[in-house]
Amino acid sequence: MKKMWLIGLNTFRESMRKKTLYIILIFALIVIGASKLFSFLTAEEELKMIKDVSFSAIEFFGALIAIFGALAAISTEIERRTIYTLLTKPIRRSDFVIGKFFGVSLILLVNFVLTSLFFIGLLIFKKSMPDIEIFKTLILIFFELILIGGITLALGTFTTDAFNIICSFFLYIVGHLTSYGKEMVERAENVVVAGLADMLYTLVPNYENFNIRDKIVVGISVSWGYIGYTILYGILYICIALLIALYFFEKREI
Amino acid sequence: MRKKGYKYLVAIVILFVGIHLVQVQIDYRKKIENLESALLLMPGQMAGSLVLGGFKGLAADLLWLNMEDYWHKGQHYKILPLLESVAWLQPSYIIVWTIGGWHMAYNIYAEVKTEQEKQYWYEQGIKFLKKGLTYPFNANKYDIYFELGWTYYHKGKDYSNAVKYLEKATKYPHPEYVDDVLAHAYEKNGEISKAIKQWEFVRDNYVAFFDIATRMIYDLKTKGKATP
Repeated sequence: MKKMWLIGLNTFRESMRKKTLYIILIFALIVIGASKLFSFLTAEEELKMIKDVSFSAIEFFGALIAIFGALAAISTEIERRTIYTLLTKPIRRSDFVIGKFFGVSLILLVNFVLTSLFFIGLLIFKKSMPDIEIFKTLILIFFELILIGGITLALGTFTTDAFNIICSFFLYIVGHLTSYGKEMVERAENVVVAGLADMLYTLVPNYENFNIRDKIVVGISVSWGYIGYTILYGILYICIALLIALYFFEKREI
Repeated sequence: MRKKGYKYLVAIVILFVGIHLVQVQIDYRKKIENLESALLLMPGQMAGSLVLGGFKGLAADLLWLNMEDYWHKGQHYKILPLLESVAWLQPSYIIVWTIGGWHMAYNIYAEVKTEQEKQYWYEQGIKFLKKGLTYPFNANKYDIYFELGWTYYHKGKDYSNAVKYLEKATKYPHPEYVDDVLAHAYEKNGEISKAIKQWEFVRDNYVAFFDIATRMIYDLKTKGKATP
């Protein structure tokens, strides 16, 4: 566990040296701050706009950080050949992969806390105390980001960087269109087609599960039961991503 | 290593079973908590971003799903901008033109009250269908010609235009009923000899239409009228 933690911490430190992540973070903060520009609207509408824009910025820029952070985690080690030195030490490959995941999660946590605090500060500035529903939304966004990072990390163990980026973004888009997939499952008359669609619905990471912001901003409250199941979903999928990463990384000749 | 690999694969499969069960629960909760994503995609929103991403077909499909949703809810007017959007995204998706024309000339036509409004929607349907023909791919298929011919024939009682478009429809590979409708259109347009000739063609080529074609020819020759 200590080895994993050390690898994670090292991954985090390494990422903090990169300018790309700072640029994305600054962009996120600018977009969140810019949501204050809707002051020409009524107070209620403005607040809704601020929430809409901020949630979206936290998620989208967080997703960028998750993808680029996780992408660099393993490939940089291979490119710089530091992985050879590392694996000659008494470190299991599983420690390495899980450690990298911890590192990526730490990067995401720091970014997420910063952007969320900025957003909450903005709400307080607008004299709107954030309620529990805001925190529920943020919790789910965070788990979504961790899942995106986990999936990108898994893809990084067996694909090239370019393919990984394309694949991760593709999954990000498709994962948000799953409600249409479900619609197709329900409407399919052919049993085989319905079965295939259902299988695809299970296999593709359902990022839309984590998306409750559209409901929250219009005042719909979400039960803790839903939050719990969605977090469980996220954890299970992260486990799958890590197992895939382990499977391919252990097979990889280094 | 191989054994370990299998272990990972088995664990992944088991976890996916777990995922499936959790997803069922999430879907159930989405339903009871009204958290399901409504299929409300405005052309400028999601579809727009998909177009920018190069997913034109996908965007059209999603809008089409919205149309389905509105259709089932009887919200016929909301379908109109979506029809235009889908047609714009995928002009070669021929069904959107035929369904669109029919939707305006029949469904909305039936919904409006005054004769003036009815005429307006009939014309809009025709206009939409003709717009579909401006795309080369569509102009080389029977579908829109037939829909135009049928709309002129059945809804507009404009038999000369019906003949014009049905004749065009028969120039491309088409189902049997297109020839049948053309024969009726000839008769209604006062072209009895052409109608007889067309029925003879139908009788000689389509077994399923043999009886009706024979009767039509007989009626046209003896009474000069066959279509009720």
